[in-house]
Parts: sequence; structure tokens; C-alpha cells
Amino acid sequence: MTMSRRLPWRRARAGAVLTVAALLGTAACGTESDVPASAGGDATREKTECQGPDGDYLIGMSQANVAEPYREQMDDDIRAAAEDVEQFEVVFADAAQDNSKQVTDVENFLTQGIDLLIISPNEAAPLTGVVERAYNQGVPVIVLDRKIEGDSYTQFIGADNTEIGRAAGEYVATELLPDGGNVVEIKGLPGSTPAQERSTGFHEGIASNENIEVVAEGVGDWLRAKGQSQFEAILQAEQNIDVVYSHNDPMAEGAYLAAESAGRAGEIDFVGIDALPIPSGGIKAVQAGRLSATFVYPTGGAEAVETAKKILLECEDVEKEQLLETQLVTKENAAEVYKRNSTG
Amino acid sequence: MNAEGTTTSEKASEAAEPEGTEGSRRRRLIIPERFFTFQSYVALVLVFLAAVIFSPRRDGGIVFLDSDNLLNIVRAVSEIGILAVGVTFVILVAGIDLSVGAVLGLAATGTASLMMVNDMGMALTVLTILAIGLTFGAAQGYLSARLGIQAFIVTLAGMQIARGLARIWSGGQGIPLAYGEGPGLAPETFALLNSRTFNGTVPIPALIFAAVGAIAIVVVRKTVFARHIYAIGGNERAARLSGIPVLRVKIAVFAISGLLAALAGIIHAGQLNQGSPNDGMTYELDAIAAVVIGGTSLMGGVGTVSGTLAGALLLGILNNILALNNIDTNVQMLIKGGIIIAAAGVQTFRSRK
Repeated sequence: MTMSRRLPWRRARAGAVLTVAALLGTAACGTESDVPASAGGDATREKTECQGPDGDYLIGMSQANVAEPYREQMDDDIRAAAEDVEQFEVVFADAAQDNSKQVTDVENFLTQGIDLLIISPNEAAPLTGVVERAYNQGVPVIVLDRKIEGDSYTQFIGADNTEIGRAAGEYVATELLPDGGNVVEIKGLPGSTPAQERSTGFHEGIASNENIEVVAEGVGDWLRAKGQSQFEAILQAEQNIDVVYSHNDPMAEGAYLAAESAGRAGEIDFVGIDALPIPSGGIKAVQAGRLSATFVYPTGGAEAVETAKKILLECEDVEKEQLLETQLVTKENAAEVYKRNSTG
Repeated sequence: MNAEGTTTSEKASEAAEPEGTEGSRRRRLIIPERFFTFQSYVALVLVFLAAVIFSPRRDGGIVFLDSDNLLNIVRAVSEIGILAVGVTFVILVAGIDLSVGAVLGLAATGTASLMMVNDMGMALTVLTILAIGLTFGAAQGYLSARLGIQAFIVTLAGMQIARGLARIWSGGQGIPLAYGEGPGLAPETFALLNSRTFNGTVPIPALIFAAVGAIAIVVVRKTVFARHIYAIGGNERAARLSGIPVLRVKIAVFAISGLLAALAGIIHAGQLNQGSPNDGMTYELDAIAAVVIGGTSLMGGVGTVSGTLAGALLLGILNNILALNNIDTNVQMLIKGGIIIAAAGVQTFRSRK
């Protein structure tokens, strides 16, 4: 009996020790990270008054989902560009594709007293409210890649997916298949705006050449593996395929793998979009000859930091919208584009 | 550690009386259980203190303790907290519910669709969605309890089915909410979920979370139903033999979980002005984490709703203070994983099973 009465307390003690240990673990992490100086800064409440180049600025970057390479690149571009601006400190948050998490991320930035918000929203409607709140508190807001509703932001920076699709279509119509031919389209996630726009633009682009026919469509959900399996099936059904147009590079690479294992990679040109300057990206695939061409989908990261400089350091007003140009990447210019766009 | 060598009947009787009774044989088993409930409060207080200590400061004030920040935390955990309360009931009967995140997504999608596409009024929409959640949960409970398919499998399938239904319902799209009078607009009153009361300070979802928590605590402490839950979780066979309607109780706990997931989904749609079939991805894991941190045993029979509430708040505070200190999100995952393991590790010191 005594035994059993004492045991719980021993357990209790062990439990307490574990709990404390866990907490110390958390605490240790807290000390190692630097709390940004400007988070506790003094000027955060007087945002309407521009301090110019003499101030120190905390910028919050709220990313929708860092797990996507394109978005990781966006963060890297911002990081690299901000490194050259000594007045800027940028803190990053990753919503992991969760709208609720991104709302909380922005709330936490506001609690920290950021001087400027850069946000690439996961989706428009859910993020509009909290972005409005930031904007109405006097925090300048730069929206990247995906828009929000209304006009409670300072500048939108993004590329025009329809335009990129059109450029890809024109390239296929004039360069790859001037005499016409059969095209397969591998589409991104159904319902997503970029997938719709990249498709619409492409069909406009190939319209000039009436001998081009889209003989099959696959839905690859942006994923390499899905692009591969979808194109495997299409290869079975279609004997004459000249060009594969894929809404992004990973699906184009997947389609290439399918064609390669069917022994038909040599007879097909693969065209993708995104051209990320990373080892697994489309530019390297073009260099290696797997893709014939890809089109740069710019992240806008560097441009966002430029805009932040204009707003905070130069106290200037900026345009409501900044549209970014795409660029065709082929074997000729691949190495040069990679070098220019790469941050590492 | 199993020195006590409890017999089956002792387990059952102890489990049936979770909140303490007289009798020394029982007491020696109940004391440690009190501690395990207590443990989550201690952890909550410690995390809170750690957050105060490591909070950034501004103008000499502690940013973490800013009332806006504290209310943000409660708002941010309200959905996970409501899910976790429902999951607590299921776990108490030694079940599990993996479907709650997907049911949240289904409910959010349905809410937006009924109001925006079908022009249904707010009260009818809410009732319909709650009924869907309740039915979905009850069906899972029936399959699990009546046909004896493991709850893990049934709710894993339920997760797929709920997501599939949500996608079909909206054609795979998110449905944004726009408020106003007339067709194609949601009633203005629904926007309350996205607002704050008491002079714009207290977020409505935080209030709903508090109300759900309070009701659940009363249910667990005061009702015969709760005694049955603990008895089944402690020893299902013994509970059955002693005449407890095991099937009905099990269906009921899954139904409660589905109902609360639907409620969280309605709040989700209101908070985010949108219902999307992708909403609530992996929320079930956060909810289960809150339950475990709250001291409820996955083996069933022991645990409390108040512990779960503490667990949810702990996770919320942790998320908040890590974010305020700009800890890298990847490192945040490690820390959260560590906390869950620590909490589960403490459970292994439990006397039985």
C-alpha cells in the first residue's frame, strides 16, 4: 500500500521533469533567435510619417506555401534583395497552404509592429480582411503573385499568366511547328486561376496557325508524377504527337519521362512554364535538352524589395500595379538566364 | 510500473468514476489520474510564463501580453479547439476521429454554397450543416461500433469521403462569401463570425469556443452519458456486461465529434469569408495533438475536456510566441513535434495499459 501510494508521486515528478525539459527546449530556441531590433522599435505607430533613409524598418513577408519551389524562390529573391538594404530587416512566415494560418501570420506581424507587409496570399477572399486591417492601420502592403479582393493594398506585383500562355502558344505556332502539327496540353490544377489563364493564353497564341491541333489534354495538378502518368496514357492513345505544352515545368519533365520510357522522347518537343533558377528547375532541364523551351514566371521578390525602398526610404508614391514580363528560355540563353535569376 | 496489478473489474469501476470518490482502493488509482489532468494545466502555465519571458518588448511593454495578441491567440485556436473537444469524446471511448478536418472542409464549403448559391437563410443553413456533420459522425460511429471496423480505418475513409463530397458540392472551387441583401449574397448577420464584440475586442469565434468548452465540461462532469463513456473506454467488455448501451454511446460520441466539426466549419467559413473543399487540411492532427497534450489517453477511459482546452491553448500560445520571435517555420515544426512527444511521454508513466 505504501508502495502504491508513493508511486504516483514518483510518476508525477518524472512527468513534471519531462514537461519542464520540453519547455526549456522551447525556451532555448527562443533565446537563440534574434528578436529583431525594430520589432521593439519606437516608430512603428507613426507610419503615416515617412522617415526616409534614416529609419530602420521591419518588413513582414507572409508566404502562402514555402513547400512550392516557386514560392521558396520568391522568399529567396526577397531575402537576397533585402540583404543589400541595410535599413531593412525581413521576417518570413509560411502559411503552409492554410488560409487560417496566413491570417494568423499577418496578425502576428501586426502585433510585432511591422513597417511594411509583403504578402503572397494563398487565396483572395480569406486574406482580404486581414490585409485590409493592415492597410487601414497605415502599413503599406505589397501583394505578390496572387491578388486580393478590393483595393486595400499599396501595390500588386505579378505576372500575367494569360500573356505567358500566349507567348508559349506563339512560340509553338511559329518556331516549333510552323507547318502545323499535333499538340498535347498538360494542365495544372483544375479551377486554379493560373491553370485557366495559361490555357486560355496558349489557345490564343496557337490560333494564328490553323494547322496546329490540340489532340489531347491531361490534368497533371501541377505535379511531376501526375504529369508522367497522364502523359503515359495519352501516349498509348495518340500515335502522332509533336509538341507537349505543360502548364509548368515539373509536369513537362514528368511527361518527358513517360515519353522516354516509351522510346518516343526524341520525336516530341516539350515546352514548360516557370523556369525556376534552381537545380531541379526548368532552366536546367532546357540546358540538359529534356525541355525545348520554358517561359520565366517571375517571382516579383526583387521587385517587391525595390517597391519597399521607394515607399519607405524614398517616401514616394508607387503605381497600384506592376506587371512583370516573361522571358523565353531556350538552349541558347539558358545558362545566361540561370546565372542572372539565381540567388545562390 | 504495473505493480498495482489491477484487475479488469477494478479498471472498469475506476473508469466509471472519473471525478473522484471515496474508498481507498479507488483513490490510489485516481490520484495519479488527477495529476495527469493537472499536468496539462501546469504545462499551460509554464508555456505562458515562457512566452512572457521570451516575448519581444515594445516601449517597455510585453508584446505577448497585449490584450489584442491574447485574443488573437484564442481566435486562432478556436476552430482546432472545438474540433479537439469533439475528438476528446471519441478518444475517451478508445476511438479516434481522423475525419474532423475534412468534415470541417465539407461544412465550410456547404455553408458557403447554401448561402451563396442556394440563397438559403442563415438559421436554416447552420441547422442543415450541423445536421450533416451530426449524421456523418453518427454514420462513422455506427460502422465502427456495429460492424466492428476499426475507428482509425472508418474515419480515414470518412476523411476521403468528406473531402470528395466537398469537392463535388462546389465543383472543386472555393466559394467566396459576399454579404448583402438579395440573391447571390450571404446574410449580413453571418459576417458576425468575422467580427469582434465588446467594443471590437473579443472575437466571436473565441466566444463560441469558450461556450462549447464550458458545455462539454459540464456534460463530462455531470451526466450519466459521460460515466458510460469512461466505462466503455476503461473496459468495453465490462461496460457491455454491466448493461451500458455501448453501441448507442459510441454512435453518440462520433456524432458529437461530427457535429462540432461542422460547427467549426461554419465558423471557418465565417472567419475567412469563404468555404473551400481544401479547408481544414491536417486540422485533425492538430486537434488530436491538443487532446494528447491535454492528458487524455489514446487508450481510452481517462482524460478530461478541460485538459483538452488547456492543450489547445498551449498549442496556440506556442504558435504565437514562436511566430513573434520569428522562429523559422521548419524549426517550429521540430519544437511542436517535441512538445507532443514530451506530452505523450508523460502518459507512459500512467499506471496501466
